[in-house]
Amino acid sequence: MAKPRPITGLDPDRRLRPNARRILAVRIDEVWAFAPFVTHPGNVRELHDMRIACKRLRYLLEIFEIAFPADLGSFIDQIKDLQDLLGDIHDRDVQVPMLHDHLERLAERDAAAARELMRQTGPGGRMSQARREAAFERFRGQLDDAGTLSERPGIEALLTRRTRERDELYDRFLVEWRRLTTERFRRRLERALGV
Amino acid sequence: MAKAWNVPGLLQDATFRDAAGRVVVTRWREMMSFRDGTLAGEDIEQLHAMRVSSRRLRAAMDAFAGAFPGKSFRTHLRVVKEITDTLGAARDLDVAVDGLEAVVRDFADIERPGIEALVAEYRTHRAAEATHIAALFTRLDEEHFGQRFERWVARHTGVDPGGLQTQPEDH
Repeated sequence: MAKPRPITGLDPDRRLRPNARRILAVRIDEVWAFAPFVTHPGNVRELHDMRIACKRLRYLLEIFEIAFPADLGSFIDQIKDLQDLLGDIHDRDVQVPMLHDHLERLAERDAAAARELMRQTGPGGRMSQARREAAFERFRGQLDDAGTLSERPGIEALLTRRTRERDELYDRFLVEWRRLTTERFRRRLERALGV
Repeated sequence: MAKAWNVPGLLQDATFRDAAGRVVVTRWREMMSFRDGTLAGEDIEQLHAMRVSSRRLRAAMDAFAGAFPGKSFRTHLRVVKEITDTLGAARDLDVAVDGLEAVVRDFADIERPGIEALVAEYRTHRAAEATHIAALFTRLDEEHFGQRFERWVARHTGVDPGGLQTQPEDH
């Protein structure tokens, strides 16, 4: 996670507003520093860091709101919407690899169960076709019980769903980000703060 | 989500130092107001509200870091971060379970056992997180961290915590 940049030149015994301006100017800059990266859906870390930067900025605006005559409510709401979208994307970016890992663990458990069953029930010597088929059916039934075959379809379906949701959320984020850019959101916020 | 508490006595022309004292103490108390509900574990929104409040407290501490000496600031911030992180692990699992339970009916019969098994696994991990949370709060109580935290804020900001009538916004 990107650490917040230190703020210099603060004077705790001065009024809140000039100090808040210094802090907010840096935190606004931190959000927009990710602008070159967010137009690529694969920049998972940058999208996550941008979410953290949005969160910091939003909380600071809520804290310092009282020191400014301008109404900051709509700026705060729009940053929160952006942060929420990035948060939903991040949730999927965490869940998708977790589901892949889970599938791998299920595969390992199945392999271990199969090896154990083979050891216990594996055919010794020659068998007729009918006996071999009966033994295989028995083996498959036991593997269903001991293994995880019943769990896999659900995890695979969930993985597909989360991946699709991630794509849709990213598209929505991009639309929102482009809207803020077109509407010169940053410039308007800086003007409202006198930065 | 629980609304942030109003900060008593915070004025537009306050000094940065005075605002620091009022905001940080208010956010600390706001966070701790959810302690008992979080420990009871009956309503996942209590833990969620406590975590959100801990994030607000961290943001306030970051905002007003300039009003405190660096070394003691880092010591106190570390504890607040520990609270956020400990609650975060439990919250992530609450969200995961809640999210899966909300969608499990959308899936075909053949797919549900896998999702239900995943929910059961998350619930097991969540039970373990509850013991971590209880252990953390016991330690903070034994260390009288809350009283020490408020005294530390008072010492560096001049704001008297005893005179700060903090309460939820709807009171």
